[in-house]
Amino acid sequence: MSFWQVTMRRSVRLSRTYFILGVAMSVYGTILSNILSFIPANSANSASTPIDLMNSFPILSVAILSLSALLFSLPVVMLFVYDKNNGVLEYLLSTGLDQLGIFKGYVKASLSLATYLLVFSNIFNTAIGIYLGTSLSLLTSMAVLTFAIGISEVFLVTISMMAFSSLQKTPMGANQPLGVIIGIIPMFPALVLPLVFPSHAIVIDISIAVVTLLVSLALLLSISRLILREKLLP
Amino acid sequence: MQKLELHEVSAGYGVEEVIHRISLKIIEPSIYVVLGPNGAGKTTLFRTICGILKPFSGQAKWDGVDLFNSKEARRRIAYLSHLNALPEEMTVFNALKYYADIEGGDVEHVLDLLSLSELRDRKFSSLSQGQKKRVSVGKILLRERDLYLLDEPTSNVDPKISKEIRDILIKLSKDKFVLYSSHNLYEAREIGTYLILIKDGELKFFDKIENVKTRQYRVGIKTLNDVSKLLPESKFENGYYVVTADSPREVAKIVNHLVQGGAELVELRELDNPLQEFFEE
Repeated sequence: MSFWQVTMRRSVRLSRTYFILGVAMSVYGTILSNILSFIPANSANSASTPIDLMNSFPILSVAILSLSALLFSLPVVMLFVYDKNNGVLEYLLSTGLDQLGIFKGYVKASLSLATYLLVFSNIFNTAIGIYLGTSLSLLTSMAVLTFAIGISEVFLVTISMMAFSSLQKTPMGANQPLGVIIGIIPMFPALVLPLVFPSHAIVIDISIAVVTLLVSLALLLSISRLILREKLLP
Repeated sequence: MQKLELHEVSAGYGVEEVIHRISLKIIEPSIYVVLGPNGAGKTTLFRTICGILKPFSGQAKWDGVDLFNSKEARRRIAYLSHLNALPEEMTVFNALKYYADIEGGDVEHVLDLLSLSELRDRKFSSLSQGQKKRVSVGKILLRERDLYLLDEPTSNVDPKISKEIRDILIKLSKDKFVLYSSHNLYEAREIGTYLILIKDGELKFFDKIENVKTRQYRVGIKTLNDVSKLLPESKFENGYYVVTADSPREVAKIVNHLVQGGAELVELRELDNPLQEFFEE
């Protein structure tokens, strides 16, 4: 079993609460995305309705499903801090691994966990949607957007949280939340802009996801230059 | 011939230089005790040798290859830090397998070697300090290396486990290089062939321990009869006649003098460790 696979399994064992919350949130997102089936047909177009419900509910649920993926993968970053404080990262460095190798292992573990949850939540969402008669094109759009936003967001949050916890002087990992704040920033335009430009929703969100992914990848590939080996010492 | 070579190595953390222009060459497999007070730079020296810290200046090389830049060279080195560095939530077997999967090695062999078989399914976090240390030592024995760096491996463990660890290292040192840091002067004398003394980040002494010269010896002599007249210069402390000599040869002369004077000797013990001076200077 490779380093990232072991890291993934260790993360699952570290805190089951996050996984339960992640799954619960994805179920909540699914319910929210399909609730529009119960909204009377004329509500969406009613002049008295301040927002376009047909568009806003799916977009809101994309955000919730993406956040559930983030929640599901957070234990990986907690494990990173735990391993740093425990001297595990120091030992890994001494065996010949470098910063990039170590970061890659945790990022892969995080993205894999996020992928598992997104696959589950999209299958679940699509199945419920088909059962309730939600439009297939809407369900497909949601699946694409959830994957794109979810994966890019998890990538950026994971790498940011690990970078912040490595760079801080005190070894408690207290700067980790900064990574979450940075990581979810791209989600706001991904949520708001499709409401403003509904006909370009997919293009806008995919573009935001691609930019976020590229930024995250650039950060990962520069990690050896940005973070010295000594920053991974306990 | 394999060797560790440090040439004018200065290293530290951020902008703070901890070790200054250290040069040494190690060519003979043996145990090298790295001695120094807290904060002297022992851990920094080890981290530099195993390639974690990049020297501010100078070079650390193994077999002529720069240790910071060569993964292959670093793979020839094992580093045991003062932390256990094992995933606490895993069982002993899985914790060792975790590293074996990353860097290779034989877990079963280590479990046998360190008599850890009965602990294999115990959670690492549930072990005693001594057991944890044994497992921690186990991880650096998973596969063969040429150079072993051990940062205070016997701190916080009982004498029995300390001895077990020392015995393993003595066995290893027959054909491997072992650098062993310690605060314990008696342990240093017992286990080490060479002494590397680090103080204030500088190399103060590097030679065979037997070549350590001391200014004076304080020796305690226990006898069955009163020898105060034979040793008028001595002080009687805690059942011992304490005498001060300039050299081991002078101690031999005193003993000879006592025996010829009819003293019934029970015990002769060195009261100060010659290495003590390094800490006092």
